[in-house]
Amino acid sequence: MTAAKYQLSAIEACYGRTVAVAIDELTIAAGELHVLVGSNGSGKSTLLGVLAFLNEPHRGKILFDGTPVTFTAKECALLRRRVTLLHQNPYMFSGTVEANVSFGLVSRGLSRESTRRVVGESLERVGLAGFEARKARQLSGGESRRVAFARAMACKPEVLLLDEPAAHVDRASAAQIESLVVSLVVGGMTIVMSSHDDRLGAKLGARVIRLEEGRSDPL
Amino acid sequence: MSFIVESLRVALSLILAGDRDVVSAVTTSLSLALWSVLLAAAGGVPTGIAVAVGRFPMKGAVKVVLDSLMAMPTVVVGLLVFAFLSRQGPLGAVGLLFTPKAIIVGQAILAAPIVANYTVAAIEGADDRILPTALTLGASPMQSLFQLAREVRFGVVAAIIAGFGRVISEVGVAMMLGGNILYYTRTMTTAIALETSKGEFAFGLALGMILMAVSLAVNIFLTLAQESHRA
Repeated sequence: MTAAKYQLSAIEACYGRTVAVAIDELTIAAGELHVLVGSNGSGKSTLLGVLAFLNEPHRGKILFDGTPVTFTAKECALLRRRVTLLHQNPYMFSGTVEANVSFGLVSRGLSRESTRRVVGESLERVGLAGFEARKARQLSGGESRRVAFARAMACKPEVLLLDEPAAHVDRASAAQIESLVVSLVVGGMTIVMSSHDDRLGAKLGARVIRLEEGRSDPL
Repeated sequence: MSFIVESLRVALSLILAGDRDVVSAVTTSLSLALWSVLLAAAGGVPTGIAVAVGRFPMKGAVKVVLDSLMAMPTVVVGLLVFAFLSRQGPLGAVGLLFTPKAIIVGQAILAAPIVANYTVAAIEGADDRILPTALTLGASPMQSLFQLAREVRFGVVAAIIAGFGRVISEVGVAMMLGGNILYYTRTMTTAIALETSKGEFAFGLALGMILMAVSLAVNIFLTLAQESHRA
């Protein structure tokens, strides 16, 4: 049986008085691909924010690798080195593509040589080899998303959370992202990916978590 | 009219000849303004970041206080710092009164709320994805704040330059805390006030022209820097 990466129980995340996510029980298995399906406003991004330790739920309990998460600043900072979220509309830092992709590595204190090597490998995996010196803000939308993917992947997280990574990209780029996701899972990474597409889970052989108005219904 | 034209002619000749009094007032002003704005930035920028991103009680009240401090009259700042630095004051023993250091302290107090407020505005106007992006890529809270400041660096530079503009053109603090001592604490503004009251209008005009040129140069620099950032 696959070990649980996350175990959520009685989780409630709110915006003001509005409950955005209310989940009784949810388990994310380690080393597997999960597709989070739901319509706009169903709470997918909020749940990903909780799983990324960016938003503290108002109620409930989360176990990460079997250990309860207390959401102290120090604990979250450590956990965020193991979990990376790729936002739906990723922000590109000013400067070059290399500066963007290396951001997480520099934050972790990786040597300059290793950083350069990992940046090159990550860009190559998303089909943007040789883009290091390009200005990040001058890239097309599709290229920006791939750079953001490379930036997240470069951190080599245990868990990669993807908020609709294939939205607003052409079919070829979407297929490339999907095959990359599958290859990362084969390599042992746990991935949770949100999508509007009901069929994506079956297509990728993933576990599907359906969110409706913030409530989960694991299929 | 001929009086003004004649004064302009004398002013230009004073500038071109590198008159010692003019040069001394200009260099004193620039060096004091530079040091005081650096001191103000050291306190104002972190304060601005903390106020902009921090979640704490009475945040609104703190912002109102910062806003109000921007309009603090220079003579009031001069008076307050004078009270601390004068012989009877709590810091009288340090012997700073009527020295350049006293002016730096006073001008830094004057500029810090401006730097802090402009920094708050820059941070609050920044893209709200910056911090979550930095955090989720594994940066510590401090590294993330540093990245945030880096992303809005031109806003922060504008804040510092606004502080510089405030201190280079003020007269109250320099006069009260520096004592307008020739070749020591005499700045462009205190010299203009003194020389004009003595009837030396041309000398005052010469310094006024340099003061305007400095302000203009600072603004041109800022505009060019922002344009190159956008390009």
